[in-house]
Amino acid sequence: MAKLRLEITKGEEIRYISHLDYASAMERAIIRAKLPAAYSEGFNPHMKISFASALAVGVTSQAEYIDVEFKEEVELSQAVVRLTQSLPPGIKIKGARYMYGNVPALMAIVNLATYEVTMPLLAEDIGVIEDSIRWFNEAETVPYTRESPKGRKEIEVKQYMAQAVKIIILEKAVRLMIDIKITPTGSVKPGEVVAALVDMFDLPVDIDNLLIHRTGLYICDEKRTVSPIEC
Amino acid sequence: MITLDPAMLNRVIKPARYTGNEWNSIKKDHDKVNVTVALSLPDVYEVGMSNLGLKILYQILNNRTDTAAERVYAPWVDMESEMRARNIPLFTLESLKPVSEFDVVGFSLQYEMSYSNVLNMLDLAGIPLFTAERNEKMPIIVGGGPCTFNAEPVADFFDCLILGEGEEVMEDLIEAVSAWKQSGKADGRVGLLKKIAKIEGIYVPSLYDVTYHNDGTVAKIVPNCSDAPAIVTKRVVKDLNTVEYATRPIVPFLDIVHDRIMLELFRGCTRGCRFCQAGVLYRPVRERRPEVLLKMAKEMVDSTGYNEISLTSLSSADYSCLPDLVQSLVDDLKEQGVSVSLPSLRIDSFSIELAQKVQQVRKSGLTFAPEAGSQRMRDVINKGVTEQNLEDAVSAAFQAGWSTVKLYFMMGLPTETDEDVLEIANLAYKVLDLYKKITGRRGAKVTVSVSCFVPKPHTPFQWFPQNHASEFERKQQLLKAKLRDRNITFNWHDARTSFLEGAFARGDRRLGQVLLKAWQNGARFDGWSEYFKYDVWIDAFKASDLDPYFYATRERSFEEVMPWDHLSSGATKDFLQREYQQAVQEELTCDCRREKCSACGVCPGLGVEVLDWGNKA
Repeated sequence: MAKLRLEITKGEEIRYISHLDYASAMERAIIRAKLPAAYSEGFNPHMKISFASALAVGVTSQAEYIDVEFKEEVELSQAVVRLTQSLPPGIKIKGARYMYGNVPALMAIVNLATYEVTMPLLAEDIGVIEDSIRWFNEAETVPYTRESPKGRKEIEVKQYMAQAVKIIILEKAVRLMIDIKITPTGSVKPGEVVAALVDMFDLPVDIDNLLIHRTGLYICDEKRTVSPIEC
Repeated sequence: MITLDPAMLNRVIKPARYTGNEWNSIKKDHDKVNVTVALSLPDVYEVGMSNLGLKILYQILNNRTDTAAERVYAPWVDMESEMRARNIPLFTLESLKPVSEFDVVGFSLQYEMSYSNVLNMLDLAGIPLFTAERNEKMPIIVGGGPCTFNAEPVADFFDCLILGEGEEVMEDLIEAVSAWKQSGKADGRVGLLKKIAKIEGIYVPSLYDVTYHNDGTVAKIVPNCSDAPAIVTKRVVKDLNTVEYATRPIVPFLDIVHDRIMLELFRGCTRGCRFCQAGVLYRPVRERRPEVLLKMAKEMVDSTGYNEISLTSLSSADYSCLPDLVQSLVDDLKEQGVSVSLPSLRIDSFSIELAQKVQQVRKSGLTFAPEAGSQRMRDVINKGVTEQNLEDAVSAAFQAGWSTVKLYFMMGLPTETDEDVLEIANLAYKVLDLYKKITGRRGAKVTVSVSCFVPKPHTPFQWFPQNHASEFERKQQLLKAKLRDRNITFNWHDARTSFLEGAFARGDRRLGQVLLKAWQNGARFDGWSEYFKYDVWIDAFKASDLDPYFYATRERSFEEVMPWDHLSSGATKDFLQREYQQAVQEELTCDCRREKCSACGVCPGLGVEVLDWGNKA
């Protein structure tokens, strides 16, 4: 048994596929690469593969992490070459290493996600934008009502903010840098942060055309912030 | 190239239906090819992507360096309204280019209820609906698939229709289009269509005139020029071992209807069920050699990464070398976690040993299709299986640990009585009792699916009246009342959808007007119950002064000219009439490849022969 940890992307070409579909695209690539993936026992065997954090439909990422269990260890560069040739457009391998010993699940250790959200501006006046971001950052609380097929839920956005939201003004667009805590009791989505900014702080942007990009997933404690491939 | 803005894609469900980039999809530079083809199935992505014929054509056409083949499916209603609101024309998934810019647009016509989607897609593409209204700059609109054997209801909308297997004829068509383009489109569109009409297996409806009797029946369908043959006969591939197969199928990101490798063991079926159109259209049986299949299966696993292979054919258990093939597949692919499945099993050729073999990796329920409840009815349809066959198959399955069984039936078959219908319920209970008897426990799950029988052209039942929708509904209630057991799930088809399917299946060219009106009044995705608008269709019949009952529920005489008499499957009318009479007399006709030839006329007529490797080797 060997556990391979990969740092991979979800690019523009596959922006609109769901997390489940992204996961099966990886599984199929692993089969095509003829890597010796391990399968669970039982009625419905499935590949032993786990992700750090699900990515929503419409979101791209430069830093996704997965662990794949192999029945035997394949030389690392070999494994990477074979897999690279089997990956669909939009998935690239940025890092790979074998994990040894008792490795805790990615999902259990990743606690910070960073995003860039880019969307068209609806106002000329840069000051308006800066104000609304500042008010958001200074607010003690930002209540937000999450509506999902399961129903409505009140969440407090600010408890999940790891950093103040930063902005870059682009030509006719604005980019927000949003760092979000992932906690055992939940998190907030970058789209929800933007919705709160628009609804409650009058951020003048075309929210329909927002593009979300995940820039990093981290394991963060008092001492340091590292990515799962560096830990 | 069309740009799809995020606001649009963020708003529709399953946006990945429209964004392409799937593994094995092929993008070519259009400036470097002679002919561009948009391959389509007029239904949503998940349905269209599951069609084997289109997968094969995609590979064959893209193997040609002079051709680029791309895909387009019907946008779901949410995407359609986004596209219409933004004036985005129908586009292909590979190049995101407008479909109207392609040389050829091919629609696979699998099902009559998808016709409204053809019109809608042409309209979304900005292509005139009628062949008569198209000019030299517009694509050639081609139809293929089983519905082309009576595509008269859509004849006015198609430039040409391909009868039979597309592998070879599609290449002939591409050659013709390529030559026509290089000639500077000599003699215009009509010039091309006249050339195409000479290709065996291609029907150019505009080159035929139809006349009608006063009673509404067809008087004559005759060519209006010397280029068109009086009868168009289907194309068949003589040897499936040498023809290209879809060994590098596109692997979708979305979960599609048949999301697995499809390994086609053979074409055709010689069982001779009298309701079955496919059994006639795909004759004769031509098996692939097991070593060819094994090689193709490995290639497909390597090229796709799928972990499931479905052994597809009209009756896969009839493959003469099945046990050995399954054993080899399981042996060779088990290590890679690949499972093998047989989609539905005939109860007489069912072998528990085989079923266990295919279930080694994943275990699912078993599906059987007795088709009718009573023995008398099964004799009428020439199903040729007995209640004992079902009992044996189900008993063996229960003994081996299965507890879930699906049973498929039809209602409204010719000569059917209420007693025949109620026998369906008796069979279901018998299966439950067998489980109790064998395992000593209750708790088997039986699903009974009953569809409404639609008489189809080119079958022995083409002269029979279809049941009225109200009659179907009455029979459904009759059965429902009998199937009150929590271990039995009863599914049935919408009778009104089947009624319209029946009208179009045996319809003539005048139904084009009905289709046009129904589409104009909002009909689309008629095969999807949530979008099926029955009243729109009935109103369209009224407005066209045509009667759907005339087409669906009327009994025809042997003398009547059928709207599809100029389209030949190779099976003779004599054969079909003989089978009709056998049906009424409840007499069976044997399997022509295992016993004696039933003289359907296909083999001598088309110069092909049955290929059965178990008998020949």
